[in-house]
Amino acid sequence: MNPDEAEFLGEKQFISIIPTFNSGVVHLISGDVGPFRASLPTRVPLWMAINLKQQQKCKIQHPEWMNVDQLERIKEDEKKDKFFTKMPSEQYMIEAKLLLGCASDDVPKADDIRTIIKDIWDIRMAKLRSSVNNVLKSADSYAEFKNLTVMEINSIRPILPHALDQIYRMKINKHQGAQSTTLSTPFRTSTSFSNLS
Amino acid sequence: MYSLTDTENLLLSSDEEEDVQLTPAEVIEMMEGAWINEKFAPEILPHRSEIVDCLLAQVTSMEENIQGLDSSDFKKSIHQLEVDRLRFLVSSYLRTRLEKIECYSTHILKEEAERSRRGEESYLSEQESVFARNFSQGLEFYFDKLLNFYPGLPTESWSSRIIEPNLHSFIFVKSKTDVEGVIIDDGTDGDDLADFRAGTPILISYNSVSGLVKKGDVNLI
Repeated sequence: MNPDEAEFLGEKQFISIIPTFNSGVVHLISGDVGPFRASLPTRVPLWMAINLKQQQKCKIQHPEWMNVDQLERIKEDEKKDKFFTKMPSEQYMIEAKLLLGCASDDVPKADDIRTIIKDIWDIRMAKLRSSVNNVLKSADSYAEFKNLTVMEINSIRPILPHALDQIYRMKINKHQGAQSTTLSTPFRTSTSFSNLS
Repeated sequence: MYSLTDTENLLLSSDEEEDVQLTPAEVIEMMEGAWINEKFAPEILPHRSEIVDCLLAQVTSMEENIQGLDSSDFKKSIHQLEVDRLRFLVSSYLRTRLEKIECYSTHILKEEAERSRRGEESYLSEQESVFARNFSQGLEFYFDKLLNFYPGLPTESWSSRIIEPNLHSFIFVKSKTDVEGVIIDDGTDGDDLADFRAGTPILISYNSVSGLVKKGDVNLI
């Protein structure tokens, strides 16, 4: 899966907007949204909020967790904890990128928030790299990644599954002694179809 | 104005007798799940053409509806955007399956023949199996033709080397519910067990969880 596809999935999340126009209910296939009354908040999917924002038809209300105080707290927790802490949103990185990208005027202290989220991401990536190292060293066939978000999982794909595939092949060969095993998929090590161009 | 009330609640038969009431939103969710699973599973999964058909019917009727809208209406662009998103979802899903069929055509056809012999449900949809057969025939024809240019080569060697998906490749999976006692296949004879807690991402080999994926108990991520 490439980041765009992760973003695509993240965009169905609902977010609160303050429209600047009046309109009745819109019957989307995925469900009804609205009615829209100017300056009364209503909840719409993220993709729709961004579209409306681009047309200057609404203000986006940033998610509750997107404020400097709370993010600082999360950052401190993330620093102290050996493991991954629970993020306020499964799609925190996607939401932050989209909102700060197109609606930075609706988020107070957008620049500070951008820096803190980047810091949190960096701390988590450092943890992730060391846990990847551990998984590879122990050569286990099973690993849990509690509280890891989709975007973060994406960042260690395909390298980690590929490496484990290769380790498995070596193990199998060792286990079966000199008997040669037939390698499946000779020209591609992983069968993740998401990485095909 | 138009309304979607006639299509709001639709019937979708998932099993022979059991009719499940699904809202379009739930259909979309199932489609997303099927898309991701298909993307990350090394082998081809049982087809979900019932969801595809259902969603495409929704999209088509919506497209008809929005044609009547004034193009300056903001609703039109919103509806158009949603339709485009859903079309992307469906075509990406179908395309992933076609890529797998092209890659593993011989293997898949063999498995399908095996399944129909055992009286099990086919994994390919009707159009997909037609495509798979045509593709496989074309490939065979091409290879045979090509080998005629090189008289010294053994002719049967390519057809006995079938490309198979690596069922042991590692994937990330998230369980919908707590699952206990999943047997981990780690290449040795020892049977290690793992318990899945709902919502925790887990890295494991595909063949340990393939049954759960097909049943829909766990999602690939």
